[in-house]
Formats: sequence, C-alpha cells, structure tokens
Amino acid sequence: MTAIDVMLSAVGLVAVGSALAVVSTQHLVRAGLWLVVTLGAVAVEFLLLRAEFVAWVQVLIYVGAVVVLLLFAVMLTRAPIGRSTDLDRPIGPALLIGAGSGLGLAGLFAWVFRDMRVNPPPTGSAQRVGEAIFGDWVLPFEVLSVLLLAALVGAIVLSKKDT
Amino acid sequence: MDKLKLPDMDYVALLPMLALFVAACLGVIIEALVPRRFRNIIQLVLSIVALAVAMFFVVKQSGEVVASKALTAGGAIMIDHAALFLQGALIVLGFVALLLFGERSLEFGGPFVAQAAVTVGSERDREQTGRELGSTETFPLALFSLSGMLLFVSANDLLTMFVALEVFSLPLYLLCALARRKRLLSQESALKYFLLGAYASAFFLFGVAMVYGFAKAVDFKAIHAEALLGEGNSLLLIIGLALLAIGLLFKVAAAPFHVWTPDVYQGAPTPVTAFMASCTKVAAFGGLLRVLYVGFDGLGWQFTPVLGAIAALTVLVGSILAVTQTDLKRLLAYSSVANAGYILIGVIAGQQLGLTSVLFYLVAYGFTVIAAFALISLVRDADGEATHLSRWAGLGARSPLYAGIFTFILLAFAGIPLTSGFIAKLSVFGAAIDGGQTWLVIIGVITSIILAFPYLRVVVMMWLSEPGESTPSVSIPGGLTSTALGIGTLATLVFGVVPGPLLDLAEKASSFVR
Repeated sequence: MTAIDVMLSAVGLVAVGSALAVVSTQHLVRAGLWLVVTLGAVAVEFLLLRAEFVAWVQVLIYVGAVVVLLLFAVMLTRAPIGRSTDLDRPIGPALLIGAGSGLGLAGLFAWVFRDMRVNPPPTGSAQRVGEAIFGDWVLPFEVLSVLLLAALVGAIVLSKKDT
Repeated sequence: MDKLKLPDMDYVALLPMLALFVAACLGVIIEALVPRRFRNIIQLVLSIVALAVAMFFVVKQSGEVVASKALTAGGAIMIDHAALFLQGALIVLGFVALLLFGERSLEFGGPFVAQAAVTVGSERDREQTGRELGSTETFPLALFSLSGMLLFVSANDLLTMFVALEVFSLPLYLLCALARRKRLLSQESALKYFLLGAYASAFFLFGVAMVYGFAKAVDFKAIHAEALLGEGNSLLLIIGLALLAIGLLFKVAAAPFHVWTPDVYQGAPTPVTAFMASCTKVAAFGGLLRVLYVGFDGLGWQFTPVLGAIAALTVLVGSILAVTQTDLKRLLAYSSVANAGYILIGVIAGQQLGLTSVLFYLVAYGFTVIAAFALISLVRDADGEATHLSRWAGLGARSPLYAGIFTFILLAFAGIPLTSGFIAKLSVFGAAIDGGQTWLVIIGVITSIILAFPYLRVVVMMWLSEPGESTPSVSIPGGLTSTALGIGTLATLVFGVVPGPLLDLAEKASSFVR
C-alpha cells in the first residue's frame, strides 16, 4: 500500500461522507455547499490518479459553474433558506434502496477487480485529452454542440415572452 | 509540435445528418429574421427540402456500400445496409410527421402554443390560444432530433451512441411542452418525460462505463472480440449490457420501463406524438439491434431469456391495459407499448429472418401510427381535439369517410389480413418460431386477440351508436394533414397487399457489419 493508495481512500471517504450529507441535510443551501465538498473531493481523486486536466475541468465546471448555478437558483426562486422539514421521507425504504445499491455496487467492483492490476497510465495532460477529442472522437464532440444548440433554442422557446 | 492528425472523414456518409443539421440552423436564423406569418411555410419548405437532400444521399450510398468504406469518422460511424435502411425509414417517416407539424387550417395558428412562457389559464393565455400564431421553432427542434436519430442508428461505439441518444431526446422533451390546448397536461408530460429520460440516460451511461471496464474500449468490434476471448470478468459485461438495455428499452417503451408512454403520448401535441411513435421507435430499435447483434452477439444465450421475459411482459401489459383506457390517445399509447413487445419478439428471434421482420414491422407500424394520430387531430370540438372515447360514438354517421379510414387503421393495428399490420405480425411470429421461441408466439397471438377488443370497441362505437349531442364534428383537413393521412393509409394498404418489395429491401438490409 503506497501513500497514493492511502490518500485515495481517505479522499474517497470524504467524497462519500459529504455526498451522504448532501442528501440528508435539511437545509437546501447547506446541501449545495456540501456538494462543493463532494465534487472537490472527486477532483482531488482525479488529481491523485494523474488525470490533471480532468481534475481542473471538474473544478471549473462542477464546483465553479454547476454549484453556483444551483445556489443562484435557490436564491432567485422562493426556495426556503432555513430548515425544511417537509423534505423528510420515511427513512426505511430510502436506506434500503440507497444502501442496497451503494453497497451492492461497491461489492461488485471490489469482487470484479479483485485481482486486476492496472498500470498507471501516462499523465492525463491537456494535450493528450485534446488529441483524443479532436482526433478519434471529433465527431461525437462536434455533435455535442448540436445538443447545446438544441438546448439553447429550447430554452428560448420555453421562456421567451413578448410583452 | 506535431500537427494534429484528423481521422478520415467520409463526408458523403455524413451528408444526410449534415443536411438536416444545416437546415435546422437556417431555421433558427429564419426565426430571427422573418415575420411571424411567413415562418410556418418557409420552415416547412426548408425542412422538406433538407429531408429530400438527406434521402437523396441515403439512396445514393445504398448502391455503393462496400465494407472498406463502411467505417468512417474515426470509427464513430458505421454505414452498412441496415444503417442506411433505418436512416431512409427515419427520413420518410419524419417527412410525413413534419407535414402534421405544419398544418394550420385545423385550428388558427397551428397545433403549437404561441408563447410557452405565458402562465396557463391567465387572461393572456386565453387571448393567445385563439389569436396568436403558433411557434415555429418546432421545425428546427424536430430536425435536430431527426439528425440525432440518423446518427444513433449508425453509431459504431457506445459513446457516439450516447451522444446521439441525447441529441435526439432533448428536442423531444421540449416539443412535448408546446401544445396549444390542454397546456398543463402538455407541460406535465414534458417534465415527466425529461426526468425519466434523464434517469434512463444515466443508466445507459453507467452501462457504458461497466462495459469499458470489461473491454477497455467502447466500440462494438472490440467489445465483441473481448467477449469472445473470455478473459476478464464477464459479470461486468453482463451488468453493463443490462444497464445499456434499460436505457434503450426505456426509449422503445417496453414494460416495465413504459410508464411514461401513456402520459407523454396524451399530453404531447398530436403531431409530436405521431413523430415520437414512429421515428423514436425506429431509432431506438435500430440502436438496440446494433448493440445486441454487433457488440454483444456472443452473449446471445444469456440475454435471450431475459429479453424474452421482457417482451412477454410488454405485450401483456400493453394489451391488457389498452382494454381499460377511455382516452383514445392513451389507448394508442398502450397499443404502441404492445407493438414494441411484438417488435422485441422479432429482435429476440434474431438471424436474418428476425432482423428482416423487425425492419419491416418498424416501417409498417410507423406509417400506420402516423395516420392514426393524423386522424385524431381531425376530430375536434371548441376545446380542441376530442380524444375521449365516448365522444367518438356515432362518428360513422357524421362523416363516414374518416370513420371508415380510422376503422381501416384500427384493423391494421389488430392485424387483419390485407393490411400491413397482418404481414408485419406474421413475419415477426414466423421468425420467432424459426428461432425456437414458440412460447413467445403463443403469448403474442393471445395478446393480439386481447388487443383486438379495444380496437373493435372503438369501431363498434363509431358505427353502431347514434351520434349524440356531444359528438364532435370532423374538421375538413387542410392539404398537409390529408397528405399525411393519405400516405399513411395508402402505405398500410400497399404493404398489406404487396409486401414483397419492402420485405426484399428489409432482407437486403438485415445484415450488420461489424
């Protein structure tokens, strides 16, 4: 067990713990802030796995844009800022499904990869990611812009109102 | 620094998609520049021209497909005969459905709401329902969706497939929300479809990750090779396939992933419902076939029993729940669930016979279902379409022509000889017996009989009841709906009487290149 392994596990625990806090806290705003911790921890995991570009994208897009968007949505709508007790549901079924699928997946991965050794890949730099995206994967990448354009048109259609 | 090396692009192979995409972009610009009252006709003409161009290139390629040329764009796209057949079917069915989009004579301003942001039920809303021209952004959205479908049926790896899945789904979610009448129902259906669709996409993506964990690649050829090799943990592969299948079966509306279907079919504007019922089915089954028979061929004996159970459940759920429906659009939604089950039976049958029957069924069903929804959009009263079953009582006396056409369509759904529905069911069941799935055929025949009951009930109601006070009038359709209705009905008849040419075409197309 190397230092990297220890750090990976520790950061993973932080990610899982804060993810639990996201879904169990009664404050909407706090849930959003816990999400920052979760996504940040995932970014650290990427860094530890030597995928630096992906890690920075994770910080920029998820921690930066998505969470800010989420908090803005909470502020701009009339969502409750304080404790919202009506969010609670009976804990039994939720625990059963959540813990069941979570532990099941963890067990599955542990069992499936139990004797697989993966050599650490070369560092995931921006150059390598760029070469992959604009080389072999250029078509799906460009098609994603179609998706964005369609979403843009749709957003305008749904929200535009002549006065 | 080295120059970036781009993969070889065969632009002719991409042209059908590019044509639709360019037309959609032009459509967006038209929205900004052209006055409202001209937009509908310009958008319609533009879309039809784009579809014609796309069809031209599909037909052109179908004559010259060779294996070396089939794979293009860095291995992202596979242009084989099956892909071209599906693309052609999508374009033709999309054309017929788009005719319904453009119809403006049934109701002032067309079937779509003018401003979706106006609060439902407000003064402003009542004003716009009767007086404002509907939004025409629906054409670019539909074209975006169609271009995504064309990519979906020709995608050669799971990642491209996922991107295409999103590209064709997102515009559909949006289109569902734009009905002119019954807007709350329409918005609810869009939200429901969006949430469940996002959930299904997540399953699909998770499946991709699992399969990548097994094969260390996402293209079908590598997955197939790795599965044959038998190294690595096949549990990962099986769970990956199961998750992928959940994502795809959601799109084809197979039980138990069908729950969105009735709500969305009922709430969406009828032209959009017609578009979804025909084109989405073709695309989703095309994708399913490619995943199963190109990527996971080696797992056949493992997924066949599971898929068989799902097919049996789907036909049972669809046909039994169709009996209890009182709304015509919901009835057709459950009938579409059951039909997804019949097509699944053909998918399970496999071999060339099974694939041929699936391709034939998809096209035949697509035409019939568009005609059915075109007719539903004609029967209206002051509040828009009258879809409740009781309102159709006595329609035969009011307008024998349309009641007659609808009767014919329902008989085609029920699978009466001389309709395309009969040939389609016959070929699917024949292929299933050939493939050793006799138990599915028995269930299929029994559910067909159950399913005939709701259809015949509508027929009896239309012809044998007296027209009452509440029987709505049938609008005289404009040229566009008549054309769509005519094409759909004629195709149902022609494929029923002379199915040979289409069956030949489907047989030629029924081979996937790995």
